[in-house]
Amino acid sequence: MKKECVAMLLAGGQGSRLHALTSHVAKPAVPFGGKYRIIDFPLSNCINSGIDTVGVLTQYRPMELNAYIGNGEPWDLDRSYGGVHILPPYMREGEKGTWYKGTANAIYQNINFLDTYNPDYVLILSGDHVYKMDYADMLRRHKEANAACTISVLEVPMEEAPRFGIMNVDENDDIYEFEEKPKKPKSNLASMGIYIFTWKKLREYLIADEEDEKSANDFGKNIIPAMLNAKEKMTAYRFKGYWKDVGTIDSLWDANMDMLSPDAPNGIDLYDNEWPIFARTPTKPPHVMGKDAKVNHSMVTGGCEVYGTVENSVLFHSVVVEEGAVVRYSILMPGTVVKAGAVIEYSIVAENSVIGQRAKVGAAPDGSEDWGVAVVAQNLTIGDDAVVSPHAMITRNVKGGGVK
Amino acid sequence: MMNKLHGIIFSYLSNPDLRELTQNRNTCSIPYGGRYRVIDFMLSDMVNAGVSDVGLIVDANYQSLLDHVGSGKDWDLSRKHGGLRILPPFSYSDKREGLYRGRMDALAGIRSYLQNIRQDHVVLAGGDLAVNLPLRDIFEAHIRNDADITAVCTGHPKGDPKGCDYFTIGAGGRITDVAVHPPIAQGCESLEVYILSKELLLSLVDHCAAHNIHSFSIGVLQSMVGQLKICPYVYDGYAARLQSVAGYFARSMELLDPNIRTELFVPERPVRTKDRSDPSTYYGPESRCYNSLVADGCIIEGEVENSILFRGVRVEKGAKVSGCVLMQGTTIQAGAVLKYAIADKNVRVNPGRMLMGHSTYPLAIAKNEIV
Repeated sequence: MKKECVAMLLAGGQGSRLHALTSHVAKPAVPFGGKYRIIDFPLSNCINSGIDTVGVLTQYRPMELNAYIGNGEPWDLDRSYGGVHILPPYMREGEKGTWYKGTANAIYQNINFLDTYNPDYVLILSGDHVYKMDYADMLRRHKEANAACTISVLEVPMEEAPRFGIMNVDENDDIYEFEEKPKKPKSNLASMGIYIFTWKKLREYLIADEEDEKSANDFGKNIIPAMLNAKEKMTAYRFKGYWKDVGTIDSLWDANMDMLSPDAPNGIDLYDNEWPIFARTPTKPPHVMGKDAKVNHSMVTGGCEVYGTVENSVLFHSVVVEEGAVVRYSILMPGTVVKAGAVIEYSIVAENSVIGQRAKVGAAPDGSEDWGVAVVAQNLTIGDDAVVSPHAMITRNVKGGGVK
Repeated sequence: MMNKLHGIIFSYLSNPDLRELTQNRNTCSIPYGGRYRVIDFMLSDMVNAGVSDVGLIVDANYQSLLDHVGSGKDWDLSRKHGGLRILPPFSYSDKREGLYRGRMDALAGIRSYLQNIRQDHVVLAGGDLAVNLPLRDIFEAHIRNDADITAVCTGHPKGDPKGCDYFTIGAGGRITDVAVHPPIAQGCESLEVYILSKELLLSLVDHCAAHNIHSFSIGVLQSMVGQLKICPYVYDGYAARLQSVAGYFARSMELLDPNIRTELFVPERPVRTKDRSDPSTYYGPESRCYNSLVADGCIIEGEVENSILFRGVRVEKGAKVSGCVLMQGTTIQAGAVLKYAIADKNVRVNPGRMLMGHSTYPLAIAKNEIV
């Protein structure tokens, strides 16, 4: 039995630019938006697009990610044929076998998996983007164009184009050139790292790429340029809507803030019943708003208890904000406790950390160049009256009254 | 040892005094506690005690309950062997009538199911009771006491005596008398949760069927109190029985008391419910919300105080909600004012409407109504 389209989700990246937030988990498992982890977006997009077979390629710290995905039930990806499969690197006969050397090599090592389903098309996804997208519409474009490869692109402001991989297209949106981070971009069509390949074609290019010892085995660096050189039909699919690479502390913080304003032109609406984002979440009772609670322009999740003030912030489940504590422009991941009188501003606090009484974490932008979002890693204690300066990256307990 | 307990929940119970709230459902599937159905508590109590097989006895008006429990997967009861079984009437015999006249009548209707139970012991409980029972301890006590029947009761009676049973506990720690639906409360109030052996249960079912006895309280507890060793297990934590609209409202508002919440929501024994995949709740820039319980998926842009909001409730700008229970999917549109009201699922209160009940006589708005 064959599947028309199988998705391969690249989830092996370390996410080193998220620093302390990925010291224990792979980037796709980083919590996002009150209820989710980043990987919920591509997984939910798949099921909403009618794709029920997904391979998740893992490598870096996979334990929590594996446990999170489990049998795929929260995304309706528990299937008797198809469903979600975790695909780690593995050993083969004669002790051959390596870590995934690059994005293309990760798919190459799983050619057998894809051959099992014998798909016509393969959808390549990343585990570090927040967006809602109908892959079925992209596949329709791929079939209509009779392309070997379709690349999803986003129109970005011209001044930002040098930060992206830029696709140069003709009047039919067929790609004739690809430039990685060009100093002088010719177009503003940025690759979103989402590809559909005709599997037969991709299979040939993956095998050829593997034989080239000099190749970095990467889609952007090797496979796409090789296909362009060979004059394969490559076409761009213009995506309209919210899309954000949340690979850095700043972009992760930005994306959480964007989510609070779904009606803004660049917002993402998670309350839309037409395109639900699914997640595996623990059952928690409704959250408690205390007698003096004051919450504005914020999200609060099950199991939270709010007795203080929360503004422009995202609270994941089981967060406690005690009396007189103030949380502004911050993201508090599951189980964070903010003790009485503490003030948290412009910060990300990872799971189960405790902010002591009257402690001060982060600060509002003051115009100085070294200002930034403060980060507290998981399972830490910030002592009473301690001060954590903006842009700090806290990976160890901070003593009471101490300054970091 | 815990796999030796089998759960039976009487899930057909319904109380006419709940009026609008039981129009489309029986008492067991009334939404309660911000995101649950009443039956979630007893189901979770059983699962949290390691019970792996549970039968739900239903007889009428049970579509809502079926939608809610589904295959039982949210309670880890979707199993290859055992797990959740829905037991509708007519399924084991063509002789019985559809509506059960009492618990023994219901048990007689599923006699062949009881015969095939894999476990040695059975816990019988109503699905209309919200409580976080330490069922594991209760079962251990049952074995330790070498009791024929262990009956769970509370020393803090709260129910309407006309709908409750009361136990007199004698010197030896045994139940010596049972008062069924007396005019005034006396002794410990029964929570109508019982543990007994499968063997005893089957013989009681046969005895009662042969003597046309329908009531467990009268036919078993009261009449056999001298022959059987019936031991009480006194549980003094919070227990809510939903018997009338006013009672439902009072039991809901009690959840705003943190001490009561601690007794009902025990972290080691989480209350499980159907997963809806809602996003977090959003509070708008001008919202005010205090002294309330709010489930996920709500959008609050107006004012909310002293209220319980279920999943997916919308309170628009300028709307004021005070002392209310708003069930899932209800929308209070701009400028509307709601006081002491219970809005069932998917109610819409149009802009500017004003609705007021009283704390002792709350206004109940039926499911899907537009005001």
